[in-house]
This record gives sequence, structure tokens and C-alpha cells, in this order.
Amino acid sequence: MTPNVKRPRRKLVARPVTFSPFARSAAHLASAYMIKRQMIENKLHESCQHTPNGKCCGQRNIDETDSDSDEESSEGVVQADFAFFDPKPDDFHGVKTLVQTFLDNEEWNLSGFVDLILEQTTVGTVVKLEDEDDDGLFSVVTALNLGRYKASDIYMQLALELDHKCMKELEEYILSVCHESNLVEQLRLLFSKRARDVGLLVSQRVVNLPPQLLPPLYDALFDEVSWAVEDEPTEELRNSFRFKTYLIVTKIYKHKKANGKLEKKADNEEEPVIYVKAEDELFHELSSWSFSFPLKIQHVTSSEASIYLLIFNNILCPRTLPSFSFFTLIFLFGTLRANTKAPVTVPSAVSYNVNLLVSAEELRINGVGYGSRSRQNPHIPTAVALSDRR
Amino acid sequence: MATRLQFENNCEVGVFSKLTNAYCLVAIGGSESFYSIFETELADVIPVVKTSIGGTRIIGRLCAGNKNGLLLPHNTTDQELQHLRNSLPDSVVVQRIEERLSALGNVIACNDHVALAHTDLDRETEELIADVLGVEVFRQTIAGNILVGSYCALSNRGGLVHPHTSIEDLDELSTLLQIPLVAGTVNRGSEVIAAGMTVNDWTAFCGSDTTATELSVIESVFKLREAQPSAIVDEMRKSLIDSYV
Repeated sequence: MTPNVKRPRRKLVARPVTFSPFARSAAHLASAYMIKRQMIENKLHESCQHTPNGKCCGQRNIDETDSDSDEESSEGVVQADFAFFDPKPDDFHGVKTLVQTFLDNEEWNLSGFVDLILEQTTVGTVVKLEDEDDDGLFSVVTALNLGRYKASDIYMQLALELDHKCMKELEEYILSVCHESNLVEQLRLLFSKRARDVGLLVSQRVVNLPPQLLPPLYDALFDEVSWAVEDEPTEELRNSFRFKTYLIVTKIYKHKKANGKLEKKADNEEEPVIYVKAEDELFHELSSWSFSFPLKIQHVTSSEASIYLLIFNNILCPRTLPSFSFFTLIFLFGTLRANTKAPVTVPSAVSYNVNLLVSAEELRINGVGYGSRSRQNPHIPTAVALSDRR
Repeated sequence: MATRLQFENNCEVGVFSKLTNAYCLVAIGGSESFYSIFETELADVIPVVKTSIGGTRIIGRLCAGNKNGLLLPHNTTDQELQHLRNSLPDSVVVQRIEERLSALGNVIACNDHVALAHTDLDRETEELIADVLGVEVFRQTIAGNILVGSYCALSNRGGLVHPHTSIEDLDELSTLLQIPLVAGTVNRGSEVIAAGMTVNDWTAFCGSDTTATELSVIESVFKLREAQPSAIVDEMRKSLIDSYV
């Protein structure tokens, strides 16, 4: 197996459900061939948007106008071909920059954490330019099993002490910022007894990454998780990807409403919460519970977002579900496809909600990008200029 | 001895500190552990001074100095200038200079005897460097980069330069500077040497991402293993090996 081969993961056609290893490998080959053919047909332009029907819609004229001009003209656009790669040790600096403010300005073993992300080549994606020489990393997405990095006995504890204390520090930080006592107990449970079923979803990207990349990116992640459940070499590793719960740590902007102050008429348009990453809004709604806490880092914001002065970190815990039915939830961001037959029966109430959400989202996917529900403008994140400089 | 540390999760310690044989400058606002690591190492030998330059924390890249003097950019405030004059030993001449290229730490690389300067530096600045720092100034480039202050770290006993420096360049620089030079990296492959580490004649501070290999290269080229602070007074510069391979 060639470890560093570029595997574009833009699934454009529904993959058949397969159960036997032979059928699986046949399906793999078939889909790889399809992808290659489709790649030759539609180049991975930023402007290409794929609807559930497999049609290419919403071709923006990004690549036609001023593509060769410099960035000086305000209309000048840059054409870029993005590609998805497996994490490699060489990506260390890029990933570290993206994950720098993962835990606010807390001092913790960040390099160790980045190493853990890069070690896990089977699940996880980095987004770079298609040209292999470029080192610039635009996004990293991965899911880490919390229980995997825990020591089962005292000897392992000593061995893991140095390498994986980043996970311990992460858990301690999360426990320390949670101010709701009932949730603290739940968190403690998640970090100790149920750690084997918990996946930490790490998704960081540059602010102006084209949103068209996001559905394939998340599709790729959850595909890899389901493949890992079947394909990992050892039993332990396979089980470690059977996530029942995902934990997401992310940043949002919350409107600073001073209590008791009357809002100006103009502010009626303003929303209480702005999600830096569009998918966070969906995750938030789907989550079982969440809490937010203030960040200590001061962000320099543009005037548009200046009213959103308080910045909160949101920790979401999506619905605890058997893993297959969770996949049906996630499909609503990307190309809808045939439901996988879950071996575990899903409670009817949950499936009802799933169906509702799915149908609501179907309408919106046909729009520009897959922006959030309440706004048509998916570019809100770019209006908010984030900078860590004081 | 070389120490690994970080400033607020950032491994670029050469940006937030400036170490010479006579004093050490540290940026304010970092955690106390950052400050205390410097204190533990440098103890009573040299003063450790907390400061900002022009209100910023990137003091290592804005100023250039050695045991004889310290050069500050034009945007240093009067209070900062005064604070530095008060805190540093009297033998150190503190001077604020008017130079268009105001990131002096990026354009000047120096030890106590010789300095490398950016090719576009003003003539007046070059003279000031020679006066205030008491060094001989050479306009040079390192691996084709004109920001000589960023891509090399010098002490009186050795130097570490950009990893892509050719052998001929290494030889030439080594002859100019009269110290052994080695091309290497710091902070797990970072080429910006001076941002990733800071060094004087008996100790060095590197970012915490620095690998063990990089650290051993640093310790050997700067001869930190057997160095004692009291022994470094005025050594006779022997004619040393021109460059390590």
C-alpha cells in the first residue's frame, strides 16, 4: 500500500452497501475508477457544487473572470485546486498552526496533540493545494478516540505519561471551564468510563476556505471512520472507531447584550450567535447537550462583527447513538445516499427527527453552498477577520 | 547547556527574548514560567530584564545587541528607552537609531566581535553599529536571504545558519566571522534560526519543538557542554576549524 498516495474523496455517486470482503474490495475499485473518471471530467474547481442528484450546479464564474490578474484588483480571484490528503508527519507545522488556539491560550502539550493527529493516518484528512510540493495546509479534520490514549495499568501509565499527557490536559481543561455542575458529571463519565466510545472531532481550517469543500470533507471523515471499523488490522483498533459519541470543541461569537439595555431598532436584524464554522450551527442543533464559556484570547475583529464582542467556546456533545444511525444524520450535509442498514434498531423518535432534518436540509442543499439555515449568506465567516495579534 | 522552552504555546523563543553575554531581555506578558526559566539559568550572572519595544512583545526581532551595546528601533518609546537604560549594566550603551528597516533583530546578526548586516542598510546605521556595538560590520547574505539576522544565530564560539547554505558560503562566512559555522535547523525543521532560539557563550534557549538531534548540533557548535559562565571572559580566539560538515 502506498501511504502517501493522494486520494480524492469527492464521492459523486452512491456507493452500494456491501457486507462481504470481496464485494467491498470490488466496490472500492469501482468507486476509485469512478472518481478518477469524474476527476478528469470535472476538475476540482472551487466553484463546483454537487447536489444530491449528482448534478453539478451553481457554477460560479470564479474561474472565468480575472483569473490571471494579480490580487491587487478587488475583483481579482485566485483559482485554486484543493485536494484531500492523509495526514503525514511532514504536515506538523501546518497542523500546529491551525490547532494553535484549540484550547484558547492554555499552555499544554500542543506538539504532542499534533503528533497524535498525524499518527492516525487511517482516519483524518488534511486539505492542501493539488500541487504536491506546496506545504500550505488549509484545513485539518480528524476524529480521535479518547479512550485509546488512556493507560490501562500503572506501567502503561508511566509509558504514556510523556507522550499522551496532552489528552489528559485537554480533558482537565474542558472539565475546568465547564461551569454547569450537571454537565461536569456527564463529562467526567465521558472521560473515564465511556472514554472508549468517545471521539474527539477536531476540525480546523483557515477562515476563508471555500464552503463547497466542506460536504466532501466531512463525508470523507465519516467514511474513513466506517472503513476503519472494518479495515483496521487489530480488533482493538477496530473497536476504537466505533464511536457512540462525538465531542466537538469550537468557537462561536455571542452577541454581547448587556442585561437590561434596550436594543436599537437596527439591531433587530442581528443574531444572537454567529458560528465561525457553518457546520457548527447544525452540530449545535443536533447535539445532545452543549455549553459555552468565555475565551481569554482577544480577537481583532472587523467593524462588521464588532458588536459581537464576547467570544465563546462551545463544547458540543452530539446525540449519543449507535454509530450507524449517526451516519444517517451526518449525511444531511453532503450528498444524500441510500441509508445504510443499521444492525441496531433505531428508536422511532430519533428516526422521526432524522427524517425531518433530512428533508429540511434537502431543500437547502440546492442553494448556494450549504450555508446555515437562517442566513443565505455563507460567507459570514469571511466577514469576521480573526487575528491572534493584540 | 541548551534549554527547551516555549512562550505561550509558541516555540519561537528567539522572537520574545534577546540573550547576550551581559544581559538578557524578555518580553512581558508571558507566563511566569517563561521568565523563571531564564532566571534559573542565568541566576546572578547577568540581569534578566522584562521589557517591551514600541509596545510590542517581539523584542528579539526588533533590537540588536551584544555585551557592548544595544540598538533599538525608532519606534521605541521614551519610557522603554529609559527603563532599559536603568536596568542594564552601565557598560552597555543603549542607543535608539533612525533606520528605515526597523526590525533590527532581523537585519543585524552580531556577536561581540563581528556583525553581519542587511545589504540595504544605511551607511549611517552601519557606522552606528560599528560604534555602539564595537564590532566589524560586513554586508552579507545567507543562503541568498538578505535578512541575515533571522537566518543565523551567532555567539563568540560558533554559529548556526540556514540549512540551505552552500559549503562555499559556509566557508566564506566562517572566514569572515572567524568562528565555526554549521548549517542546521531548529524547532523541528524550521529554517528561521534566530526566531527559534537565542544563544550566548555559555547557554542557549530553544523552542520546545526542537528535536534531540537539533539540540545536540546546537550544543556542539556553540560549545555549550563544557562552558561555564565565569570562564568566558576574554578568550583568545584560536584559529579554529573553518566549518563543520
